Amino acid sequence: MSRLLQGLGIWGLGLALALTLPGSAWKPAAPPPFPWSALGPAALAVASLAVLAPLLVWLGGPTLASRRSLALLEAPPDLLWAALLLALWPPAWGPPAQTAWLLAFLAAALPGEVRWLAQALPGEHPLPLAWGLRATRRVRRIVLRRLWVRWLAARLPVWLTATLVLERMLGVPGLGTDWLTRVAGRDRRGLAVWVGVLACLWLLTRPWQREAA
Amino acid sequence: MRTTLWALALALATLLAPAQVVEESLPADPGPLDFIQGDSYEQWILQSLAGDALVGIRADGALTPRLATHWTLLEDGSLSFTLRKDARFADGRAVSAEDVLWTFRELLANPRASATKRAILAGAEVGERQGRPWIRSPKPPGRLLLELARVPIAQRGQPGQGSGPFAFHPEPGAWVFTRRDHFLRPRIDGLRFRLLPDPTAVLTALRKGWLTLGAPQDTPEAEPPPTCRRLTQPLHAQFVVWSRLGPGPLRLLERWRRDAFPARLLGRTARPSQGLWPETLGFPARAIQAEGMSATPAQLVLHHAAGDASLERLLLALRERARRDGCDLQLRPLEQGLLQERLQKGEFQLAGSVVFFEPQPWAVLEYLEPTGPMNFTGWRHTGLAAVTSRLRQPGDAAWVDLQTLWARSPAALPLLDFQSLLWVDRRLQVESSPMGLYLHTPGAAGWRWR
Repeated sequence: MSRLLQGLGIWGLGLALALTLPGSAWKPAAPPPFPWSALGPAALAVASLAVLAPLLVWLGGPTLASRRSLALLEAPPDLLWAALLLALWPPAWGPPAQTAWLLAFLAAALPGEVRWLAQALPGEHPLPLAWGLRATRRVRRIVLRRLWVRWLAARLPVWLTATLVLERMLGVPGLGTDWLTRVAGRDRRGLAVWVGVLACLWLLTRPWQREAA
Repeated sequence: MRTTLWALALALATLLAPAQVVEESLPADPGPLDFIQGDSYEQWILQSLAGDALVGIRADGALTPRLATHWTLLEDGSLSFTLRKDARFADGRAVSAEDVLWTFRELLANPRASATKRAILAGAEVGERQGRPWIRSPKPPGRLLLELARVPIAQRGQPGQGSGPFAFHPEPGAWVFTRRDHFLRPRIDGLRFRLLPDPTAVLTALRKGWLTLGAPQDTPEAEPPPTCRRLTQPLHAQFVVWSRLGPGPLRLLERWRRDAFPARLLGRTARPSQGLWPETLGFPARAIQAEGMSATPAQLVLHHAAGDASLERLLLALRERARRDGCDLQLRPLEQGLLQERLQKGEFQLAGSVVFFEPQPWAVLEYLEPTGPMNFTGWRHTGLAAVTSRLRQPGDAAWVDLQTLWARSPAALPLLDFQSLLWVDRRLQVESSPMGLYLHTPGAAGWRWR
């Protein structure tokens, strides 16, 4: 109960900050409509990440956390992935759209999330490695099942809003752009709705976060 | 027979040829097309394509008919407009005096209407006489007419419907305009805008041929591809610094701006300002005439908007120039919204921001009038009302008196004049102006493919 109250307190602070955001726009204007068309691609991106990252960790195990090649892939910022994709995209294909954005998003986010999950796995030496690969993967599956909802709850707000750089570079307006436009235009009510929705998503994950005794 | 076949083949080829749509980018989301509430640079572009104001401004700054074929100044001081008969909305209905009145009344009554348009119509009365709309305003007719060019007329009850040369079709992530049967006779098939806020992405898109025109990041290395030409146009835009410490620091800035900025840092898009007000609006360069020169202060604090790397480099150069005179000019970057709040509350010593002026000389009154949106220092003068009442037309002698008034105790000084650098497809003919490519008449309706 106290953890729930702590969480609600933090979301409440976020809500208060959104409603009392300091500053004012040079020319106040009507806030932009919510980009409903961006919800589908965002859901697809989140679903891809939510499936691919645990799958890779299930296959690779906790040693992935210290794998140098993964760290190398994790290091470049979103900006670099977007610039690389733009540079390599053939001119004849026309400007990159949602598919390219999804690819860049996975390239930028997947290595970090894999390491995040791999670090949370318990050590496997000597057990369950000594029991064989089948037992090891079974243990990984059990741990990842416990971890999955917590990981989603912690990372979802980041995934939904931190795609801004990719959206700006690739010219694919989405949820990150919407968030930034509301901050720039001081649409406090719109920001409060954003925080409220993210808080509701967090609340929805609470029943699955309980530890079995 | 052969001629007929050639003519048939040509007609078929014309019919089957894909529409040549101009691909463009927008730096920020303009929001929904709304002739009542919309108020941003991007929104003005959409409105200029999909709507018509009563009058237009030509690229050279002169008035030209648009929805109104002509206008008359009546004895009671009101302006009466004769509407053209061939102007129609998307549903085919002719533009009528009721639409003009509805637009003006909605702008005056709706508290969420565009602040710029509300200021244009402030204190105005509107009505209709024999099918002709009229407007009476405390502003001189010359000013009102120039300002009305910024107020496109919406269809009665439909704030998103205009009668402009292009029909608007919103798409996910794109704003598409297609040519209409219109009195300006647009010669391009249409325009398609994508949201590309990043100048580097604009540069890549131009190089790859995904954009027909655009404003890429200005770097010495950036050369347009062979398919594009470079187009430079002066803008009614300046970087302006306000002073709460009186004209003393502004006199220092006036001296520093002459030699503070190296040409390489200025690039092709900025140059040091010469006078007090934009020369693009017809004001000659004047120097500050404040009497009594105070000693150079040991320290000054300048707040400015963060995020523009080239401007920040120029301000660093200004800081170094100030240091040579023994002044520690402290730069405090702030997020634009926070800077705006600080300006409105007057919580600053010096504060700088990029200002886009309206395309007529009365725009400078925003510095001077007690309720002016750029009068952040509470500037006032007992002689102001008398001088402004004599401003009837651009170029009147009273403008010199007004500038003299300001030059004696200015509250703000421009440091940089901006111009836009565009790369335009060589096949596309456009007409540039200090208002940009879109906001004059005929704007994009006058473009053509070679």
